[in-house]
Amino acid sequence: MISHRDNNTQRIAALDERAEALRLKRGMGIADARAMHPSIDVVEADPEADRRLLEGLADWCDRYTPLVAIDAEDGLFLDVTGCTHLFGGERAMQDEILARFFQQGFDVRAGLASTPGAAWAAARFHGDRIVAGGEEEALLSPLPLSALRIAPETRASLESVGLRTAGAVMAAPRAPLARRFGATLLLRLDQALGRLDEAVSPRLPVAPLSVERHLAEPVVLTDDIERLVSRLAIALKTDLERRGEGARTLALLLFRVDGAVNRIAVGTSRPMREPRLIQRLFHERLTALEQSIDAGFGFDLVRLSVLSVAAFDLVQGDLTGETDDDDADIALFADRVRARLGEAAVLKPVVVESHLPERAVKTVPFAEAPQGRAPAAGRPAPPRTAPPMTVYPPERPVRLFRSPEPIEVPATEIPEGPPMNFRWRRALYRVARAEGPERIAAEWWRQLPGEEEAPTRDYYRIEDSEGRRYWLYRQGLYSSAAQAAPPRWFMHGVFA
Amino acid sequence: MLLEVNVMAMSAVARDTIFALRRQIAKIEGTLPERLQAPSGCAPEAIPGKVRSSFPSGMAQNQTPSDAAGPDMTIVRRGLAVASADAFLHTGIDRLDAALGGGLPKAALSEIHGLETRDAGAVAGFALSLVSLVLREKQGLPILWVGTAEIFHEAGMPYARGLHALFGIVPGQLLFSEAPKLLDALWIAEEAARMTAFAAVILEIRGSPRLLDLTATRRLHARARSAGRPLLLLRQAGEADPTAAPVRLIVSAAPAASRETLAGPLAGSIGRPAFKVDIGKSRTALPGQFTLEWNPDEHAFAERTENSVAVVPASGRGADPAPAFGAILAFPALASPAVASAAAGDQPSRQQHPAHRSPRRAG
Repeated sequence: MISHRDNNTQRIAALDERAEALRLKRGMGIADARAMHPSIDVVEADPEADRRLLEGLADWCDRYTPLVAIDAEDGLFLDVTGCTHLFGGERAMQDEILARFFQQGFDVRAGLASTPGAAWAAARFHGDRIVAGGEEEALLSPLPLSALRIAPETRASLESVGLRTAGAVMAAPRAPLARRFGATLLLRLDQALGRLDEAVSPRLPVAPLSVERHLAEPVVLTDDIERLVSRLAIALKTDLERRGEGARTLALLLFRVDGAVNRIAVGTSRPMREPRLIQRLFHERLTALEQSIDAGFGFDLVRLSVLSVAAFDLVQGDLTGETDDDDADIALFADRVRARLGEAAVLKPVVVESHLPERAVKTVPFAEAPQGRAPAAGRPAPPRTAPPMTVYPPERPVRLFRSPEPIEVPATEIPEGPPMNFRWRRALYRVARAEGPERIAAEWWRQLPGEEEAPTRDYYRIEDSEGRRYWLYRQGLYSSAAQAAPPRWFMHGVFA
Repeated sequence: MLLEVNVMAMSAVARDTIFALRRQIAKIEGTLPERLQAPSGCAPEAIPGKVRSSFPSGMAQNQTPSDAAGPDMTIVRRGLAVASADAFLHTGIDRLDAALGGGLPKAALSEIHGLETRDAGAVAGFALSLVSLVLREKQGLPILWVGTAEIFHEAGMPYARGLHALFGIVPGQLLFSEAPKLLDALWIAEEAARMTAFAAVILEIRGSPRLLDLTATRRLHARARSAGRPLLLLRQAGEADPTAAPVRLIVSAAPAASRETLAGPLAGSIGRPAFKVDIGKSRTALPGQFTLEWNPDEHAFAERTENSVAVVPASGRGADPAPAFGAILAFPALASPAVASAAAGDQPSRQQHPAHRSPRRAG
């Protein structure tokens, strides 16, 4: 028996058949139930885990249709329009779904109808029924008001005026109903009867293209999966060619025999349709995930979907058959590294207009970086946005620390001057020469109103007694005010 | 190979055996041992501390007693697949090129060591100046910098703005790859080293990990060699472990010269980057220590010797402008020795003419 906390009392949220046989009911207080039957076993409800389970089941139902939506806490909508013939008709499909769930240990009710509302009612009040188009009214009429998916308050007030079945509501004049009980009631009724369209919003975006293969014998080995990927990719290629597109995101779905679903996605930096390349990307991804994919008793359905596409530019190869496209090589390399080591494995620096050294260069993942490093021979060069040429650009270090490291500066020759020596990473450095300061102020235009102004930084180029060159800065200024905090020193980078 | 050092002391029969063995080795390696003329700059007496008999294994010295004392020593070098002049990256410093046997091999793994992590700036700077030399021929090709998360955290990320100013490497040309583990870094470097789309690949590693052994470096070297691209292995705070790299350079920072202005060196200023480069290992096994200065305007190395005369560059940024048309008739030709000596007399260096400065010091 499962309890949950509702209005500061522990109540029964769900219970099994044996508890029902003891005349316990949902909503009953746990204290009352315990008083009746002291030996009952109570488990605290875990809505998170229930949700995860439902999402797992929704993933699994993906094998029947890409349009799977989660309905409240305990239901799934499957839009099987156009999918039933793949499983031998509506009846065969529903039987298969029920049988599969039963084998996995779930007690499932299903209903199939041409509207979501009617299917919802059929599943909850009949268990295993297929409602043909036009029979919705006959299905709903004898059912109680709760079959209409309306709020409990509306239901209670409808019952108080004597409308106890859906049929009674249908027979009642519409205008007074709408005036008294709100538009939702009629909306639900019309949706259930098919007078209004109701869209089921799928949980996952529907892939524009996907190819799948049902396997009579489940596969376990990674090699077999890779081989399947290349076969599926070959099938995918013709579709992509027809559409003139290439894949930007690909997902491989592995449906395990016992219901678990593995979703493996790879991204590409440029549109791709070559099966060999797709297979290589998944090879890297599968190698990286080798430990975390549990094949169990094997996968019996493998699906390769294209989640996002982009226009694919055809490139004319030369007579030797090699396109000699370095950019494509690099994009593939970056994709493979990314597939194996994650999104941020290949980074590209992007120059940003900013005075602050740490903001002046931003490193972004390769796939998001602006492409087109060198214009190809045929294409016109993009307009150049050259930075304004300064006669003496300020010296910048070759390496910059991720975050400036605090250093100890015991003394400076003059208050606003460079340090004489400093301690960094527990080693003492003696300053031989110093250049500076270069004052870099905080960017006031990025400051939020009311925020304290960030202190300015005075940067110094320092050469220590052994010839190493560093970039230090002093944050803040020396102030005569007694309560003012002394300025702090930081190591920000090293020069060549 | 150690056998060969003792060639002289052996009988003719033994020598025949040695030659047969050498031929066999050459057959296995697929290349004939080649004979190099040791440059005069690298004659033994020119390099202090070098003892003739102490050639390490890895090179062989073939000499007859007659030319033992002469400067035209013959060095036998082997193992480089292509020994043409094009196979080497010329650093522009003749002495260094000669000591490396022609330059840094272009299609190979090269190690650049820093003794301490705090030398990371100098090591990175030296590696990037080599890359900048590579880019002279392969303009526009990207560069991949692979490093472990540890080294990027300890020594800092390469800073694209600084690289652009110093080495002419455009930010769009750079690619970084930060690997969480060393194994991943090695994998990325191996995959990148086999590609010809990169101008150069830099693999940066801290310390002396066990994973980076002879096998791993051999794999890297083989890939770099077949792709024909340099792979620079930067090792911060690493030991001189045996690796397959034909060249190992130990780099540390050297105090920079002062900035040059038209009025002479600016006292107390920090000028161009300078590196101290030790040859730890090379095909010729000639030791040497060099102090190199990187010229960011011309993208070239210059060697700093003890009494170098500072020269003001003709142009601030970029190479010399084209020579003017026509001839200036009012002055004699600049190349004439008389004028050159006169010009030198105008601005004598301190070492040449200490007397020149003494009156001022007294005053």
